[in-house]
Amino acid sequence: MREHIENKMYHIEILPPKQETENLQEELKLFAEKYNKVLNGGYCACITDNAMGYLAFQGTEIIEHLKLPVFTNQVMIHLNTFHTKADLHNILDSCKSLGIKYLLVVSGDGSERLPKLQPADVNAKGITRSVTAVELLKYIESEYPNDFCLGVAFNPYEPAEHEYEKLDRKLKAGAKFIVTQPIIQKNDVVDKLIDYCSIPVFIEAWMSKKISLLSQAVGYEIPENEQFDPIETLKMLHKIYSQCGAYLSILGFKTQYALIKDIW
Amino acid sequence: MKIVVCIKQVPATNEAKIDPLTKRIVREGLKAVMNPFDAYAVEEAIRLKEKCGAEVIVISMGPEKAQRCLREAVSLGADRAVLLSDRAFGGSDTWATSYVLSKAIEKIGQVDLVICGKQAVDGDTAQVGPGIAAHLDFAQATFVMKVEKVDRRHIRVQRMRENGYDVCDIKLPAVITVVKDINMPRVPTLKGRLASDEIDIPIWRPEDIKADIEKIGLDGSPTRVVKTQPPKARSRKTIRIEGSPQECAKQLAQRLREEDSISGANI
Repeated sequence: MREHIENKMYHIEILPPKQETENLQEELKLFAEKYNKVLNGGYCACITDNAMGYLAFQGTEIIEHLKLPVFTNQVMIHLNTFHTKADLHNILDSCKSLGIKYLLVVSGDGSERLPKLQPADVNAKGITRSVTAVELLKYIESEYPNDFCLGVAFNPYEPAEHEYEKLDRKLKAGAKFIVTQPIIQKNDVVDKLIDYCSIPVFIEAWMSKKISLLSQAVGYEIPENEQFDPIETLKMLHKIYSQCGAYLSILGFKTQYALIKDIW
Repeated sequence: MKIVVCIKQVPATNEAKIDPLTKRIVREGLKAVMNPFDAYAVEEAIRLKEKCGAEVIVISMGPEKAQRCLREAVSLGADRAVLLSDRAFGGSDTWATSYVLSKAIEKIGQVDLVICGKQAVDGDTAQVGPGIAAHLDFAQATFVMKVEKVDRRHIRVQRMRENGYDVCDIKLPAVITVVKDINMPRVPTLKGRLASDEIDIPIWRPEDIKADIEKIGLDGSPTRVVKTQPPKARSRKTIRIEGSPQECAKQLAQRLREEDSISGANI
């Protein structure tokens, strides 16, 4: 992952079509356009897994169905704990056969319509609470040794002590890179994170003008700012966190995509 | 074995509004979804199909857009779907609706098991499943939380009660209504969804199911909705408490005490 930073390779998030969509074919076409654009631009396409608990189709099944190319260094799949064991293995097996190496392992946002991995599913003996990214990470490491490069999320909006305790467990479980939750300015907790760990850190930059959506995504109220300019903010984040990679969420493909090329 | 699952398209519950004049739910412009309890019914039918071999047919009474829910059920593994749609069905209460569904089940023929969700979240009556059983003179078990076993002649189920459950052996053909403890519904795959978008869903009218026109619609309904009102919205907010664990616990207890959520000298 370090070469992604050295080569200034943006990580660009792409949301798969939602299950409820009425226009699946159109949305698949749009997904393919964005995906190909990201790969052709030399960036890394990061495909979410039922983001915010909204049921969506799996990235791997879309790639397989549309016969999209996979360049090992340029595709990342998010994987959360809201799956059955059988589905989890289907996804991992598909990733392996497609040549997808990077997985971002997160606890995820649930929904009543999503199953949840049970401790026994991931051989997490003695755990009475629900399965988190830590147990999932350990399980993938044990079941698919050396097949994947596993990353984890870091949430600077959570109480720092608690988040660092979780991070320690994630690092111990085998995390190889970190992606932060989206930030829109210099963040003290993220500053500390960079000093704290030796693995690559990717700063998630919020590329939508709607701060309210960001508040919704991180579950923490961020004050509205009508002057907020995502592109200028991205430039600023590059300056502050020059040693980190950049992960772009909600990137506007029509207007912003062309602009990011010259920023980093 | 032939299994029929009755499903209903309902408004997404957090968006429902009531028409002040008709006292009915305003469905126009609302996002419509499969009744959540029906998803468990579909899943149980598919599991029985996978375990014992069966044909699973989903049926729904509603407007043509209700085809979306039927397609969703097919994308999950149901074999075929039928929509009952006609202006004459409009305004049917639970008795008339269960009559229409029972006539469709008769037309499908040789049905061994009918599965319904325990209730629809828009009406919350839990009457349609038992109504179908009454119209067809089938055995029934409501609030089923587990299907223990099934063969060609019987089904053994656990029926949820407040303090436990009953184990019921029921002779087939039968109707069961299921609660959400029964299973965890699967999520449609892309392949399943694409295949379901291609299938033809026949639309049956009253004449197709030989329904007595006097027993359907508003005129065929013995009950009238006198008043409907939405429940009071529950206000929720998150308060962040800072400090050491001891201080946080103290502050939390203080706040709960102030809001009369707890009492007692030990806290």
